[in-house]
Amino acid sequence: MGTGTNVERRTVLKAAGVSAVTLGLAATACGGNGGTSADGTVTIRYSWWGAEERAKKINQSIALFEKKYPKIKVKTDFQTYQSFWEKFQTQAAGGNPPDVFQNAVGFLRKYDRRGILLDLNSQVKAGNLSLDHFRAGVTKVGEVDGKQLGVPVGSNTMALVIDKKVFEKAGVDPATGWTWDDYFKALKTIHDKTKVPGDTGYFAIMYLYDLYLRQNGKAFFTEDGLGFDKSDLTEWWTDGYGRVKAGIVTDPKVVAQDQPKSSLSAGHGASEFTWDNFTVRYSAEGSSTYGLAPIPTMNGKDTGQYLASLMLSASAHTAHPKEAAQFIDFMVHDPAVGQIMGYDRGILASTEQYAAFKPTDTVSKEIAQYEDTTAKSGVLGTITPHPSGADTVEAAFLRIGGDLGQGKTKVTDAVKQFFTESEAAFQA
Amino acid sequence: MGTAVTLVKDSVPATRKARSAAPVTKGRRGRRENLAGYLFMSPWIAGFLLLTAGPMVASLYFAFTDYNLFNSPKWVGFDNFTAMFDDPRWRKSVEVTAKYVVIGTPLKLLLALGVALLLAQSRRGQAFYRAAFYAPSLIGASVSIGFVWRSLFSDGAVVDRTQSFLGFHVGGWVGNADWVLYCLVALTVWQFGAPMVIFLAGLKQVPRELYEAAEMDGAGPFRRFWSITLPMISPVLFFNVLLETIHSFQIFGSAYVVSNTYCGPADATLVYTCYLYQKGFKDAQMGFAAAMAWMLLLAVALVTAVLFWSQKKWVHYEEDAR
Repeated sequence: MGTGTNVERRTVLKAAGVSAVTLGLAATACGGNGGTSADGTVTIRYSWWGAEERAKKINQSIALFEKKYPKIKVKTDFQTYQSFWEKFQTQAAGGNPPDVFQNAVGFLRKYDRRGILLDLNSQVKAGNLSLDHFRAGVTKVGEVDGKQLGVPVGSNTMALVIDKKVFEKAGVDPATGWTWDDYFKALKTIHDKTKVPGDTGYFAIMYLYDLYLRQNGKAFFTEDGLGFDKSDLTEWWTDGYGRVKAGIVTDPKVVAQDQPKSSLSAGHGASEFTWDNFTVRYSAEGSSTYGLAPIPTMNGKDTGQYLASLMLSASAHTAHPKEAAQFIDFMVHDPAVGQIMGYDRGILASTEQYAAFKPTDTVSKEIAQYEDTTAKSGVLGTITPHPSGADTVEAAFLRIGGDLGQGKTKVTDAVKQFFTESEAAFQA
Repeated sequence: MGTAVTLVKDSVPATRKARSAAPVTKGRRGRRENLAGYLFMSPWIAGFLLLTAGPMVASLYFAFTDYNLFNSPKWVGFDNFTAMFDDPRWRKSVEVTAKYVVIGTPLKLLLALGVALLLAQSRRGQAFYRAAFYAPSLIGASVSIGFVWRSLFSDGAVVDRTQSFLGFHVGGWVGNADWVLYCLVALTVWQFGAPMVIFLAGLKQVPRELYEAAEMDGAGPFRRFWSITLPMISPVLFFNVLLETIHSFQIFGSAYVVSNTYCGPADATLVYTCYLYQKGFKDAQMGFAAAMAWMLLLAVALVTAVLFWSQKKWVHYEEDAR
């Protein structure tokens, strides 16, 4: 019996040991170590959204960075746009956002309000990051209430991407300064002659409606809310739904099935409003030739366009603000990085990178030319304000507007629903 | 070891001996044994407390707060619960889920029972058929099947072509708000393997002599099914109904994947958990989402209670006369 007791004591101790190890492991997995190892090497985390192609280019750029800064290691991960922000929100709420991440104007105020974004001005003063040598005023996009919350990597502007082959076949040639009437007539001509709907669903795209409103002296957002009323949107969506029924805009049933591909690259629509740098995507997804066309206007001149941009931001929670700033500085200024990245995230924002990259492929050339022409025609204005919640509002606009075409809801109900959801988003 | 052998050989006296010896050390030893047991379980207990019980308590608290993940939660009482009934999308999600449960579960169980009846008879290759019918249940929960389903039910794909050939021109179901839910129903019905296996086990338990007696009395196959098989397997049927109903309420994966994460089009596949997910992780209205989760728990508990109550009307447990 004596031995028996001993064995049991040992068993108890063993069991205790096992559970201690388990808990210990769990604790290590959760805790992290701030990313500094014994030899002084600092590890920072960098995440972005985008496709495989962007990841390849970014990884090449990081290799250059790690060569220049051997004491800094960069750990990366990337998702698609939607998943990125879902994951980011959860990480940020847990106090564990990536040290450096891709950002866009619609998210600045939201995450500034939540104390997630590092004001990079302090790092500029410390000499770890330079805001000089950027193309015309583009750093303004990353500024909120005097704080520099993001540094642009590239600038982009809304454009009309067209399936050139279909447009040619229909004999439609979009000219600078064409009006909405011209545009809608063109959609009809295209549908009549080629059986392809002229557009894939313009009326659910927030940034296009913003341009339309700006042409009419309004804008999508004010500093703290929506810049239009229910009757404006009712008119916009009623017309849109009418065009779906007429067949000149792609049936939302088809759009839903084409996802995650765009209906333009799937050949189920002849044009789509989107950011000009996305042309790269269509060329990769689809089999036709894609080009850029001007935004339709009210008065034959003003398009309401402005330069937006993708940015790099740093986390206010980062344990390594200096290294994060050095990384951002390298990624936005280094000419070799510019050569690798090209126009994937828009026209390169810093003059060093802009000068270093000479586009050779047709798509990049066309993007460069488009922004050049747009800038020269003097239509570019100041960017519409983006209040906190702008991202949720954009998603609601896309969802509710897109679903409208299914004919399941009345336009007035859809408009009401959109206003309710927007209100909640601004307050969240 | 020597004692162990005597224990087996001469078990009754040995047990008595052990019992009479027990009181001496029972207290200390028993406690020590319990402690060892708990310590061995402790990884699981820790996991349960940290990953299940803790979050559940937290979510119950959040359900009564306005909480956007970043600010500290603000107590709002029952506001989240009352807000649900004013939210047209919440009502839509309830409608979609109810439709899915009410249509999908009976169809799935009918098919499971039907196939089980066929497979219950001895025939060649029986093991193969069972495995073949069960296979979809094994792979059914995977995301890849969602993708396969999505492409099967698109414009110009197999389902569309078969339908058109038969003269129904619906087009792809995936993009069609009127049809897409049936695409999910088809997916769950296809996974009838798990309840089928349970039905098979139940059918094997029905005593042969009952059928023989009924046949002597001239009962046809339908009569035998209705008066013998069904009452005899009613406990198994009850178990399957309960399990599948609860399971159906929790549908998420297939709706999320087939609709390409939007749970659309036009909210046609906005199942309850999907809306909960959107509210919590997209719109960051965690308080509302937590309230939704507890509402779902209540609803499932209520349905379960009703099923248990209905049991005495139609479930027959064999009296243990022995």
